[in-house]
Amino acid sequence: MSDNENDAVEVADEEPETETEAVAETEPAEAATEDETAETAEAADEAAEAEEAEPEPAFDEDVMPDEDADLLIPVEDYLAAGVHIGTQQKTKDMVRFIHRVRDDGLYVLDVSQTDSRIRTAADFLANYSPEQILVTSSRQYGRFPAEKFADAVGARARTGRFIPGTLTNPDYAGYIEPDVVVVTDPIGDAQAVKEAITVGIPVIAMCDSNNQTSNVDLVVPTNNKGRRALSVVYWLLANETLDRRGSDTVYALEDFEAEL
Amino acid sequence: MSESEQRHAHQCVSCGINIAGMSAATFKCPDCGQEISRCSKCRKQSNLYECPDCGFMGP
Repeated sequence: MSDNENDAVEVADEEPETETEAVAETEPAEAATEDETAETAEAADEAAEAEEAEPEPAFDEDVMPDEDADLLIPVEDYLAAGVHIGTQQKTKDMVRFIHRVRDDGLYVLDVSQTDSRIRTAADFLANYSPEQILVTSSRQYGRFPAEKFADAVGARARTGRFIPGTLTNPDYAGYIEPDVVVVTDPIGDAQAVKEAITVGIPVIAMCDSNNQTSNVDLVVPTNNKGRRALSVVYWLLANETLDRRGSDTVYALEDFEAEL
Repeated sequence: MSESEQRHAHQCVSCGINIAGMSAATFKCPDCGQEISRCSKCRKQSNLYECPDCGFMGP
């Protein structure tokens, strides 16, 4: 960790909501009481109409520069899972994967780049024999998808606490020598990344907008904090990896979603 | 493979330094399969790398 790590993180400015409060305070109280019943009735009617007109939640978000991009799944599915949702912080390393910043200060990741990197990561993993791939996730929501991914592609998984020495101590009973490591979060899985550096193996990492990409060889930009987002990304990565190997097995998204 | 070619094969694709030590990583380019080597410093500083064959930009 460098001393100037905090310098690399920028926080989005939040706009103060003083205008609406000021307007609300200046409204005369008498006028509000007179038309109260009529307004509430109209508001109820409008709300009912809106519900009828829009039975499904509308994803009107601008999440990628090229709207005609060919994606693995429809963009609505990415949005429903929240794959594009970043954090209120951004790092210099992740700027090139960020599309825009929302009004609430959350950075929005470029979904087309996420999609592209999932394909790239699948190509990358297809170069290795399945048992030489290690998947790690210390994050609670990433454990089930990571284990399921490992099961699907024949890789090994280390979820929960990553025991120090797993990659570096031959005397440890759980010692393994993988050729590539896939981590769910470079911050949470810092021990796995550290040991991968020590033994000199490449690291694929799922990085959110607040992650630094130190010692990462391939970034998959995604929301790595959401349950559904991690499920979708691991599901796509598993299916694409199997596809590269010529396997006919195709998993459903439900297989990668943990029960609540 | 000649000696100069062997040396070239173990150079960092970002900074061009001759690679020594364990912290460096060598892997195949995900797009074209060309071997890519990254030195420990470039990995730590997350310097961008470009595949000399296909132009893939990482990390």
